[in-house]
Amino acid sequence: MSTLKQELKEKIITQLNLEDITIEDLQDDTPLFGDGLGLDSIDALELIVLLDKQYGIKLADPKEGRKVFETIQTMADYIEANRTK
Amino acid sequence: MKKIHIHSSCSISIQPGFQEDYFFEEIAEYAENGIHAIDPDYKEFIAALQLRRMGKSMRMAVYASQKAIQNAGNPKIDAVITGTGEGCLRDSEKFVEAMWDNDGGMLNPTPFIQSTHNMAAATVALALGCKGYNMTYTNNSNSFESAVLDAILYLNENPEEMILIGGLDEISEKTLEFWNSVGYVNSNNPKIPIDFKSKSIGEVNSEGAGFFVASAEKKENSLGSISAVKTQLEVEDPEEFILEFLEENGISVSEIDVVILGNNGDSRYDGIYNDLSETVFREIPQMIYKNLFGEFDTVISIAVEIGLKIFKFQRIPFALKLNNSIKENYQKILIYNQRRNKNHSLILLEK
Amino acid sequence: MNRKPIAITGMGIISAIGNNLAENEASLLESRHGIRKYSVKDPLIHQEKLVGEILKPNEEFYSELNLNPNEAFTRSALLGLTAAKEAVQSANLDLNDGRKTGFISATTVGGMDATEKYYFDFLKSEANRKFVPTQNCGIHAEQIAQILGIKDYVTTISTACSSAANAIMLGARMIKAGILDRAIVGGADSLSAFTINGFSSLMIYSDEHCHPFDDNRKGLNLGEAAAYIVLESGKSSANKEVLGYLAGYGNANDAFHQTASSDDGEGAFLAMKTALEIAGLKPEEIDYVNAHGTATPNNDFSEGKSLSRIFKSVPDFSSTKTFTGHTLAAAGAVEAVFSLLALKNQKVFANLNWKTPMKEFDLKPQTEIKSKEIRTVLSNSLGFGGNCSCLIFVK
Repeated sequence: MSTLKQELKEKIITQLNLEDITIEDLQDDTPLFGDGLGLDSIDALELIVLLDKQYGIKLADPKEGRKVFETIQTMADYIEANRTK
Repeated sequence: MKKIHIHSSCSISIQPGFQEDYFFEEIAEYAENGIHAIDPDYKEFIAALQLRRMGKSMRMAVYASQKAIQNAGNPKIDAVITGTGEGCLRDSEKFVEAMWDNDGGMLNPTPFIQSTHNMAAATVALALGCKGYNMTYTNNSNSFESAVLDAILYLNENPEEMILIGGLDEISEKTLEFWNSVGYVNSNNPKIPIDFKSKSIGEVNSEGAGFFVASAEKKENSLGSISAVKTQLEVEDPEEFILEFLEENGISVSEIDVVILGNNGDSRYDGIYNDLSETVFREIPQMIYKNLFGEFDTVISIAVEIGLKIFKFQRIPFALKLNNSIKENYQKILIYNQRRNKNHSLILLEK
Repeated sequence: MNRKPIAITGMGIISAIGNNLAENEASLLESRHGIRKYSVKDPLIHQEKLVGEILKPNEEFYSELNLNPNEAFTRSALLGLTAAKEAVQSANLDLNDGRKTGFISATTVGGMDATEKYYFDFLKSEANRKFVPTQNCGIHAEQIAQILGIKDYVTTISTACSSAANAIMLGARMIKAGILDRAIVGGADSLSAFTINGFSSLMIYSDEHCHPFDDNRKGLNLGEAAAYIVLESGKSSANKEVLGYLAGYGNANDAFHQTASSDDGEGAFLAMKTALEIAGLKPEEIDYVNAHGTATPNNDFSEGKSLSRIFKSVPDFSSTKTFTGHTLAAAGAVEAVFSLLALKNQKVFANLNWKTPMKEFDLKPQTEIKSKEIRTVLSNSLGFGGNCSCLIFVK
């Protein structure tokens, strides 16, 4: 699980172009949206693409994403449970 | 129509124009084509979280507009009117390439969103919280002129407002290769400063952005006014086009203190400027600017800034002189442009 | 403020519901939509998509318009030329009569339909290189103006889905300012893999025929179209049949997010407010609203909110995108034409596919074509980048 979280942090930083953020800055329970990291709805769509391309998980409804993308931890949990890659 | 007054400007280009009071003390030289603009420190005005998504033209636009606003004393902006010939080229290319690379999976939405032509104007408005009139003209080398015409109309309709007018264009390697394949580009010996004696074929392509804060009211520190603008897609007789414009605005050629011409080193079309240099503009000071800034659809926005700087410093920079004429006093400046013999335009600036 | 309405003396349109004005009119009156599975087998599109397609290949346009087959005209230019020609003819314009004439067009696709096809071919072979110069937005306007002989002013606006409405607005303002006597204004956008894939990547492309303002709406269907109207000054339109007047217009920016509209529909609200002010009309004097109504969860919510804010009682409204699909930059002009047809026929056109009201509002669009007295029509076009425009047409 910790390798998955590590991998996830790397991928998110690259995918979302978060140049100024290091893996150390990204805590497992930092809220990704709103007051935490401050990501927005376009980032949410990018994360859906990430889930699909890297882990073979298709989220058909962007609204589902809200719960899944709350933190690195919630993302990792969801991926563990649903990955096909 | 009443003239409009420019209170401040900021430009980004292949010369360090965004530096305070830059007036050609140092000149950047290049021996390549597809020259990228010199980047200021974008983080001065743009947070990392927004900057990360922005392509070159967008970050240039947001920086130049914010700096212009700062230079004007931070007035509230009521409208944003911009022109861009090519829009967000690189993001468009990214999305096309992603489509070709894709075999049915999901596509990243960011380049698609960023490729929308009005995204720069929208991002500027978002940064300012400006809910007013917001327009983007995308008409090749008359895009900035269209924006200026709309600005004049707008400020005559809304004389109490303060607006941003801007031109922006970015270069991309791929599109440059396409342009090269159809003979637009000087691939032989592109140089900045352009060596006009070499009579090259093709342009030296670059990128940049020029933004201005303007209103209908002259202020104590105003840099100058844009009194009139005219564009025409095709012009049979450029001399007649120019003389008609001057007559419409009640001035004679001799009252023009300097004309800024758009010679860009493409000898197939510079002849149009050369003819005018020897005829209608023969007796007045003439200057060029694309020898230092290269060519892109909205480069005329840089010429406008140069004109305003001439009003301030009351001299023509040596690097931009085309003839040896000088005047005591620079009060009226005419800018004439055409690109590949299309979109002939005239902008009249007054102190 | 010059409040004099501007006369409209001609129209031209091509869309999924008709190749000309008469065909579009008949389809609207018969509530016959044009949304079908995309017939083009495009290697860049991997799913079956429902679109508002014009079932005519480019070659047929070349031949109908008498164009040199060796010259590059992108599909948006072909659609635009078709509609602009019809508009000029229907207004009986003599473009050599000395009156100052402008052509103000709009597009978002520009030449992308060709660029995306030939992107990896341009450098390999000469065969399609003639489409390199036609890549950008402005070139289609230049080509159309040159062919039609419009000389005094040519420009192109690109503000996403509000583009053509803005083109119409600029034409009116230039006529009021005396810079032009008349203007052919509107826009053109063809279908393209770029836009189809783009909206799909935003997860707002519906796999069903769209249902605007329905609680179960899933997104839009794209369409292709071109439409132009001819605006003329009072002097220029004297002794001519006038199809209607452009009485009001407004543009404002939501300044909320790059692609999403605000929850309170502020941009749309401000645009409608300005249009009403210029038209000198009160909200209750609007008889029909041709809504932007793309059927995306976000637009219809935001637009619904803005309608509820500006109208004490929202008048009859419908989205005609269920007929044509969302035609992007052309939408503002397509719907201007439809607004004028509503005035002509005294009919509110149907908002098809509607079953369930949105939870958040008490808003029911007109689901069937309705006859009523219509003196005023308000048309909204709300684009990416928060660009919101509103036009008001009167008899």
